[in-house]
Amino acid sequence: MGMNQFKRALWVYHLNTGSCNGCDIEIVAVLTPRYDVERFGIKLVGSPRHADVLLVTGPVTRQMEPRLRRIYAQTPDPKVVMVVGNCGTEGDVFHESYNLVGPIDQIVPVDVYVHGCPPRPEAIIDGVVKAWLKLEGVAPERTT
Amino acid sequence: MNVLDAKAVIKSYEDALDGALLNSRVYEREVGARKHVYTSLWLDVERSGFRAAVSHVAQLQDSPHFSVIAQVDLGDSVDLLYHFSLFTGEPNKAIALVLRVTLSKTDLTIPTITDLIPGAIFSERETQEMMGVTVVGIPDGRRLFIPEDFPEGVYPWRRDETGPEEMLNVLPGKQGIQHE
Amino acid sequence: MSDTIHKTSYMLPIGPVHPALHEPIRLDLDVDGEEIIDVDVAAGQVHRGIEWIGMNRNNAVQTIYLAERICGICSACHPFAFVLAVEQAAGIEVPVRADYIRTIVAEVERMHSHLLWAGVAGHEIGFESLFFYVWRIREKVMDLTEVLTGNRNSKAMYQIGGVRRDITPEQIPIIRASLDIYKEAFDEMRHLFLDDPTIKLRCRNSGVLPTEDALKLCAAGPTARASGVPTDVRQDHPYAAYADLGVKAITPDVITGCVVGDTYDRIIVRLLEVKQSIELIEKALDTMPEGPILTEPKIAKLLALLKKAEGEGVARVEAPRGENIHYVRLKAGEDTLQAWKVRAPTYANLQVVPTMLKGQQIADVPIAFASIDPCMSCSNRAVVTNKTDSTVSFLDGEKLHALSVEKTRRLNAELAGK
Repeated sequence: MGMNQFKRALWVYHLNTGSCNGCDIEIVAVLTPRYDVERFGIKLVGSPRHADVLLVTGPVTRQMEPRLRRIYAQTPDPKVVMVVGNCGTEGDVFHESYNLVGPIDQIVPVDVYVHGCPPRPEAIIDGVVKAWLKLEGVAPERTT
Repeated sequence: MNVLDAKAVIKSYEDALDGALLNSRVYEREVGARKHVYTSLWLDVERSGFRAAVSHVAQLQDSPHFSVIAQVDLGDSVDLLYHFSLFTGEPNKAIALVLRVTLSKTDLTIPTITDLIPGAIFSERETQEMMGVTVVGIPDGRRLFIPEDFPEGVYPWRRDETGPEEMLNVLPGKQGIQHE
Repeated sequence: MSDTIHKTSYMLPIGPVHPALHEPIRLDLDVDGEEIIDVDVAAGQVHRGIEWIGMNRNNAVQTIYLAERICGICSACHPFAFVLAVEQAAGIEVPVRADYIRTIVAEVERMHSHLLWAGVAGHEIGFESLFFYVWRIREKVMDLTEVLTGNRNSKAMYQIGGVRRDITPEQIPIIRASLDIYKEAFDEMRHLFLDDPTIKLRCRNSGVLPTEDALKLCAAGPTARASGVPTDVRQDHPYAAYADLGVKAITPDVITGCVVGDTYDRIIVRLLEVKQSIELIEKALDTMPEGPILTEPKIAKLLALLKKAEGEGVARVEAPRGENIHYVRLKAGEDTLQAWKVRAPTYANLQVVPTMLKGQQIADVPIAFASIDPCMSCSNRAVVTNKTDSTVSFLDGEKLHALSVEKTRRLNAELAGK
């Protein structure tokens, strides 16, 4: 896989819509020296306005739904939404609870799903690469 | 702090509550290779003696350690179980204490204990919003875990008509939970 | 110049523990300038209705897996307490070897959780390299978890009546070799955290929780022990193999000779507990007896047994964050639990946040709030209302973290200037 094919750095904004943090910890582990995605130019940013990829976890509780919609709207196009974990994909063990409003693709459109409970860091990196390829396919050349 | 064994605790409660103590049960279990005895003590009290029962815990231990209130919907009545730990800080000597109060659904009220134990506030708020029990004298009665726009009168842990069945998030094409 | 002092008020989203760990919770802060007057905790953003699911949809064995996902970081202590409570309610015995294996898995989890926290604390102060260093060691603990349980995070080790996997003779040298690595790493970390002057300056006398308040508000775990309350469920009310191993609650006066109850004390307690866990695992390995690991290996029989059982049980476990309690009630003839109540330790520790943050500066909030090790999704947004004004503006988590890092740099510069 020739990394020199990628024309841009990938900026990622992470949002937790009510997950147990298992996936979130694995996402943070992806940044640590053993997996170290920062050497590929993948960076976590603190604001959705700078992000290319929205990394969303969790089964979307009622309280977090407006926030998810708002973050999606604030992220500029072109963007890719990536769901990490089973509860974001379908609800997993929590599905049909009274305080949830459906898996993430009922609220915002999703491009990449990473399965697992929680998925291994290798699977998350694989998902990020898929998101990156998808973005490269749709995004114009960026000068940064 | 005078460390007592389970039987002595029951006796001190019988003396203190004078009739409001309805029932008591001791559970003991051996754990590990050395067969240490793990003890839990279950006391049923009348609502009228409930406040006295809680202040009695403070007699047995300064700064009693309160854990949580558990709630059970039994059809016509609701059980509230107050979980305490007695004699914490003493290696191998602690006893789990459970005070149970049974409330009829026609009168779901219980006095607050936050004046005796300030750390009970979250649990009391949760009891109000999840079970529909009114905690009389609670200093802060707002909802804790349920969003503000959740309908009033729906209590997630009840098994009767006030349960949350309407609020379940059933995905398109699915049936949802079937109750017998 | 006007006599009245105009202060702007701001909405302060009390930051995530790490930019990636956006765990939703809201803190409403009342401030006066830079100083915090009052705090209100608004929880509930992660409320998934787990107890309801356990009571209405799952049977008892399925609920073990649900309990694991209450929190992904401490995913061994919840099923542990749950199976202990069910065993009490149904009267099921547990073989002694299973007790020891449960203890070992719980202690490995405690190590990983405390290392996670230590890295995050370093990040909140601004020491990125400390964060990466500690998490690199944590990866080695994850390797050990994988050897023991087959997975990094959701361990699925606990079953009603025992454990699901045994510790084989091939695994034991691997475990011992890992423990040697951790011992070395612990000495290094202790030096990095406790001998560093900047960490002392930032954390000493910050986020103080007096002993009195820790007792009244029923705080749990390292938060309470750092304030001088010498309780530990493993010491007071031992379960599984802890009565044989003998655990002593760690309070900060072991190192410093006095108890202040601030953030620095909490760092001390958690680091020493890592060492304690290493020693407990070694002792457990040395004294673990042979024998079966599961009372009832066939699941269908186990479920039939549970369906006939009637009773209630309560169990407490010392999770990395404190006392975790599960209450279970079983009714004969029903698959699902009749009642299930979970109280994770952060539930109790959140109640001390107002007391701890009063009088602090806003820049201290990330590290002070992180020092109670909030596991139920820590805060992401804090609403700050200034008492004098009512205008509202947003500073996001990034800005708050920047405030914290900037304060560290300022202190560093002062130290260097001396």
